Amino acid sequence: MMSYKKRSTRTVKPGRKREKWTDILPRYLTFISHMRPILRETRRIIIDLDADLLLDTEILDKIRQEEEKRNIRKVRALSEFSAMYRSNVYDIIKDFIVKYREKIPIIDIKDYILDFLHESVNALNILRHITNPDELNLENTYLYQLVKFIESRLFPRGANLKIIYNKLLQQSVDIYECQRHLLQSHTYYREKLESLEYFEVPGISPKVYQIINNITSLYNLDPNFGEYPEKNNYEIPMILKSDIFLPYVDSIANPEEEAIERIAERLGLRLIDGIFLAPQKDFVDLLLENNFLRENKQSDGTIRYYPQFSNETLVLYYLAFASQRRGFLSKELINWISMNFSFLIYMGILKWKLSDENIFYAIFKDLQTNEKVLPYLMKLICFPNYLGLDKMKIRDSVQYRKEIFNFIGSQIDNLKAFIHEISLYCEKLENNNKKN
Amino acid sequence: MTEAQDITWKGLLNEFQDGLEKALEELQKRDVENIPGAKEALIQRLNNIKLHFPKNNGDLFLKSINDKIQNAFFPNTKNFSEAFEKILKSRTHEQDFIINELLNGFVTSKAKAIASETQGPIIDRMVEAFSKRNDFHIVDHQFFAMFGDPNKPRHYVKKQLEELVNMFGLVSKELVIEKDIRRSEEKVYVFYTFPSEIIEILEEKYLIIDEELGYAYVSNNFDRNIFICMFLANIAINRDDIDKIGGSYTINGISAIFALILLLSFMPKLSVDETNPVLNDPNFDEKNMSIIPKSWMMKHVLEPLFEPLIKIIAYRIGGGLWLSKIIDSEINKKIHNQIRFLLKDVNKWILGNLCRVEIPIFIEISNIFTEILVGYKEE
Repeated sequence: MMSYKKRSTRTVKPGRKREKWTDILPRYLTFISHMRPILRETRRIIIDLDADLLLDTEILDKIRQEEEKRNIRKVRALSEFSAMYRSNVYDIIKDFIVKYREKIPIIDIKDYILDFLHESVNALNILRHITNPDELNLENTYLYQLVKFIESRLFPRGANLKIIYNKLLQQSVDIYECQRHLLQSHTYYREKLESLEYFEVPGISPKVYQIINNITSLYNLDPNFGEYPEKNNYEIPMILKSDIFLPYVDSIANPEEEAIERIAERLGLRLIDGIFLAPQKDFVDLLLENNFLRENKQSDGTIRYYPQFSNETLVLYYLAFASQRRGFLSKELINWISMNFSFLIYMGILKWKLSDENIFYAIFKDLQTNEKVLPYLMKLICFPNYLGLDKMKIRDSVQYRKEIFNFIGSQIDNLKAFIHEISLYCEKLENNNKKN
Repeated sequence: MTEAQDITWKGLLNEFQDGLEKALEELQKRDVENIPGAKEALIQRLNNIKLHFPKNNGDLFLKSINDKIQNAFFPNTKNFSEAFEKILKSRTHEQDFIINELLNGFVTSKAKAIASETQGPIIDRMVEAFSKRNDFHIVDHQFFAMFGDPNKPRHYVKKQLEELVNMFGLVSKELVIEKDIRRSEEKVYVFYTFPSEIIEILEEKYLIIDEELGYAYVSNNFDRNIFICMFLANIAINRDDIDKIGGSYTINGISAIFALILLLSFMPKLSVDETNPVLNDPNFDEKNMSIIPKSWMMKHVLEPLFEPLIKIIAYRIGGGLWLSKIIDSEINKKIHNQIRFLLKDVNKWILGNLCRVEIPIFIEISNIFTEILVGYKEE
């Protein structure tokens, strides 16, 4: 019998409901579709304006006030945002005029402003059509192609850890710092090294990073050697667990020391006899393959594996480990990774469409704009067709967003270079799309 | 130089000599090198140091520490703006790197270091706040808005802004609004800017002033390291006031870092066989990197070299006061131990080899040594 009683399909807590693609995409588009018309209208107004009139900044003020009056949007948040956005645009234009009116003819200034506005509209156009509601033609959408482009370099997939590790190592020459950055969530102070949920993988905190460096140095400088449990007549390098923690004052690294077994697992290492750290069998094979271990026959006939680690040897293992277990990442790490992906995509598109001297860059990079666009992009990126992370773990709190967005940015040179590479890839995509 | 000081200095030089002997002894016992000739090159270099360093009352040390390290990182003056100017002038990309390592490297929480968990991003946001305005001021309200609701700023944001303002010596001005639009209540806004003598220094490169319009824009060069240079200048001028700069932790830490820079500069470059896999490693850049022997990094070799060197640095930059803080306590030992793992991003591990990135400060110091060696041979 069919029941006509309406049943709630909501079995999860309110606010944690499972959001569908068709729920999130419109939210992503909301603010973008309000920015574009403002820039277009402004451009149209300036086209019609006699260049000499631009010299008097009060005229711009009056135009803006008139424009504001035409605002008929009913949603308060949206009309507030539009007002703020418009006033930012006009302020930037005014500043630009004031700064250059003595040096550049006003007619050229006008042309510059028109060009900058044109570029900005184009960028928003791409952001608006980054994908579509039905994910039609998925493989040709910018969102899909850009996520895959970045994923293959920073967070590749593979049938096993060895495949993932080798993919990462191949890319590390150019973007090792970006790869490392992807693990160094800046909200590490919330992270637990040892979680009750056994499999959970957190990011690398500054202290864990130091410990990884200590381990690398100790292996290279002064390793001990011990029997290789899985292979007779072979010896693997080992270091004393206590040596790693020797430099720490007071109890400052106690949590790390207590969780060393778990940390070691994420680095491909294991604890032997409770005091030595040595590579696991699978890692030994990986190390040999990549020349990070060298064979040396001893006078008694045993074969010793001498470590010759590089900076990236252990960090990339951690990254490969996290990529393979992407279903078990900590909340902080998921937020961090998806935020970096969305930031890279967003900046890549801007870099592609805007010239470096575009005066509106500042608005695009403003926290207020970021927090309207990036959070939804982060969620879209988490869907199975893209990164396949648990998007339920993306936080919605405004405070949290401000907090994490405070840490992104292209202060890292390597990140800047990568954004440039993404912008070149965008151009290539566009050309391919035109050909098809 | 008084006679008493002379005796201390001589004592330190002798200690260093003894340390060299011990290090050489330890070197003979073990071999961790995988490059033929590396150990021998190191032994030869240490012997050369033993021969040349004590000459002329330790002239080589005076030149490297007083002229190079001190000028670039720790100017010897009581004048804040003068110290700031010198540090700022010696800035290069690589120096920024070292300074950042200097500050982030301490693993002890007790040192009063900048860029602790939340201070780093707060400084970045200060830079942003200055960049957005055209009067070279920041307002607390605007600043709080970057970290949440500006009308209810978080406690830690308020506190850290205050601390940073004090540390950098920013000057403030209050603006009282009788009725604000939001609540029609009285509201006080605080504006911050740099002291005028610092503004003068910044004008050359970091600040563009349009006198006609009264605008002041920051240039693209204005970044967080400006603030960090101020932090270093602050420590440099207050070197006599130990409490002000974070106590003996800071003294031991800074002396150890500079000792490491000195030691690194004196390590010989190794030439390797052309079939060595390092040369084919994509991370190795032959133009600005060189392989150096790693044996000196072994605990047994480094310790006897390092202890006296830390004292020498402490004495040269902080006199008897600093020297008296370098005692062999457990904690100091640990701080010195940390240094063994520091400067990690400036030097790289490539396939088990320690590769020095040839940055200006290393080159300048090693040149001093090379000149002496060449001069000696000609004699």
